[in-house]
Amino acid sequence: MKIDISDYNTIIKNTWCPGCGNFNIHIALKKALVDLKKHPSEVVFSFDIGCNGNGGDKIEGFRVKGLHGRAIPFAIGAHLANKEMTVIADIGDGGCLHEGIDHLIHAIRSNYNVTVLIHNNQNFALTTGQITSTTQSGKKMYAFPDGKTEGDINIGELVLALNPSFYAKGYSADAIQLTEIIKEGIKHKGFSVIEIVQICPTYNRENSSEVLSSRIRKVQSTNNIDIARKYVLDTKHIYTGVIYQNKEIKDYYSNLKNRKGKKTELVEEVKNYGISNILNKIQ
Amino acid sequence: MKDRFTIKFGGYSGQGINTLGGFLSKALKNSGYFTFAYREYPSVIKGGYASFQIDFASHFISSSTTKTKILACISDESLDKYTQTVTKDGVILHSLKEYTFSKENTEYIKENSIVVKYIDTEALAQECNAPPIMGNIIMLGAVWSLLKLNRKVLEKEVVEYFSKKKGIDIEAEKRCLSAGYQNIKDIKVKGLPEKIKKGWENSKILTGNQAIALGAIAGGCRAYFAYPMTPATSILETLGDTYEETGIIVKQAESEITAIQMAMGSMYMGARAFTATSGGGFDLMTETISCSGMTEIPLVIVLGQRAGSGTGVPTFSGSSDLDAALQAGHGEFPRCVLAASDAIDSYELIQEAFNISETYQIPVILLTEKQISESLFNILELPTPLKIQRGLTSNGIKRYLLTKDGISPRWLPKKGKKTYLSNSDEHDEHGISTEDIEDIKSMAQKRIRKSIKLEKSIPHPKYYGPKDPTIVFVGMGSTKNAVLDAMKVNKKRIGYLHYKYIFPLKEEKILELNKKGTQIVLIENNLVGAFGKLIKEQSGIYIPNTLNKFDGRPFFVDDILEYIKNR
Repeated sequence: MKIDISDYNTIIKNTWCPGCGNFNIHIALKKALVDLKKHPSEVVFSFDIGCNGNGGDKIEGFRVKGLHGRAIPFAIGAHLANKEMTVIADIGDGGCLHEGIDHLIHAIRSNYNVTVLIHNNQNFALTTGQITSTTQSGKKMYAFPDGKTEGDINIGELVLALNPSFYAKGYSADAIQLTEIIKEGIKHKGFSVIEIVQICPTYNRENSSEVLSSRIRKVQSTNNIDIARKYVLDTKHIYTGVIYQNKEIKDYYSNLKNRKGKKTELVEEVKNYGISNILNKIQ
Repeated sequence: MKDRFTIKFGGYSGQGINTLGGFLSKALKNSGYFTFAYREYPSVIKGGYASFQIDFASHFISSSTTKTKILACISDESLDKYTQTVTKDGVILHSLKEYTFSKENTEYIKENSIVVKYIDTEALAQECNAPPIMGNIIMLGAVWSLLKLNRKVLEKEVVEYFSKKKGIDIEAEKRCLSAGYQNIKDIKVKGLPEKIKKGWENSKILTGNQAIALGAIAGGCRAYFAYPMTPATSILETLGDTYEETGIIVKQAESEITAIQMAMGSMYMGARAFTATSGGGFDLMTETISCSGMTEIPLVIVLGQRAGSGTGVPTFSGSSDLDAALQAGHGEFPRCVLAASDAIDSYELIQEAFNISETYQIPVILLTEKQISESLFNILELPTPLKIQRGLTSNGIKRYLLTKDGISPRWLPKKGKKTYLSNSDEHDEHGISTEDIEDIKSMAQKRIRKSIKLEKSIPHPKYYGPKDPTIVFVGMGSTKNAVLDAMKVNKKRIGYLHYKYIFPLKEEKILELNKKGTQIVLIENNLVGAFGKLIKEQSGIYIPNTLNKFDGRPFFVDDILEYIKNR
């Protein structure tokens, strides 16, 4: 099956602001899937709610636009049911770090073979610009005329503290590098966290592409967590690339002893089963 | 009560009375009796007071009495609390060296001619060259000796159980059993049920939760996601302990929200999956239930009810979450609520839940209760599995096609199939988000239409009893068991109308009864009467006569008999 980027396009009108980072993120995502020769019907996207979630009708594939904060657990359920499919959770900094931060933490430690794209535009944009834990300190935002009161969450630092198997950081203004990062994330057999520094021209004007681009430093992939930590702790610069990858950690499904050697997926196993052996076992 | 015999073990949590009760249940069953076992225990690991009560009879029973013929206690608190549950001429065995009964209990014992026997299980265990913990087995042997039943039957259960454990001295267990038998020669108990059913040793003893797990396995469930919460937890245990044989993925999720989202993700892909919880966890799941309603992704949730709101009485029973099940989730969408009453129901209704959920693409909530989840039912066998109904098409174009019955084609995400967007935003037939007036109206109506077809397809409530009853109880869940057991004792013209398909509600039978002028009594294991409210809402009939119980305990047979006596 020959696959072209147009296979991933839809006829739905774009509703993102001019200059929104989502345009490039979608281009990179589509290009990555085409490069990996994935047909849209082989891909499941679990979209969160927010500007990123509004991308659910702008890309082909089996897409679910579910609940705010819950893109990750839905994606995991889908993956376990049929691991032959490529499963991608698409979520913003609001949904990922606020409403559903527990899911991110436990998904990293469980290491499901799922890729998560965190669109980090440093605010809740779809509800017209509220602060998130990645909003720049002191910035005045909706209903916070004196600026953000709370501290920040450094996504990289959080992820690296959890013994992840894959953490990468991309930049929406660099779709070429982002394409490569997403490809690596999808290829990685484990939970791939990809944070994307996303331009928001409406609610995060301070961080324009000029400002952000000057801080970008591209790095090579490492399996040395100390080096990776140095990258994420240096907040003056933005290090992009596959920041950390550990191929030694087995993914969740591979650890399931009762699924060893099974040639079928759960979705292929729905039928009536005899239970007499189980009934006798629990007597 | 004449038709049955009751034995209760009392101890503190962690003393092993469940193990003793398990031996006794099986041994009684294997001796040819129908058994039913009920557990009370506190929400602690060590301490408090707990009981394991076994009722047995020569006919089918599935509820308990409040009075017991033999009480065997191995902790002082349980003896304090349970002394007054012993019947006239009953027997109390205990192993508490310097125990003195309270003034009230002493009087009660005297008035009711109860025989009290202290057994020094610790000393006897020592004599048997066994550790003090095996004193429990001495107590078990003593109880069995009172029943004058074949010793080998009980011994077989004990030996079989301990043979599976490592480092247990089986011979010492046998010596302890024997010491228990020897120690009790001087006491006689009367009133053992007479008839003994032949071949009954092949019957099974199952909790409601085990039956749910078995039903799920039989019905093709391939993944289970849950967060522990009494009384749903033991579904996790059963599916976990058998996953090697079944290949089911059993995942303990980090929260109920995660569990239900994972279940929905798996169902979306086409694997049958479900989650189970109790009231508090269910509250956390409600947003996802609404999402299932809107996205039309099938979803199955078991709601194991316990007593109270908040944390409530975590290890006790009740039926006060019907409103939660009926109203969980914002917005308007169709749903189905089912309620199990016993082990066979639990086994069948979980399969029915999957069939309805997939066919109608709606959330289905299966209600159960601690009384059903954790009590031990004695059944001959489980029925053959229900035929799997999924309502799937092999491929399609419009995922949310507007149809006459509201059910749109659903096909599974798979390589080569037409892709689609499953959207929790209001959407058009393709799943694309919309704010269009006509789209919003037609989609809302399409979804609601599904409940009309569902209501037509579900069975009517089942009536038990004579053709021309003077009183008919109407209820759902475990109330059935106590009422049916009471009907076996009291031959008045009592009927019982039992609902297991709760919503949509079939009101025809209620209307019929009302028209005939039969006296109807609503029986509910709660204070406010949510089921009566639902009946009124759906049928227009207000039932003023109610029998409610909301003390954390299920209905006992005596509760029903007492109520009838006064009518």
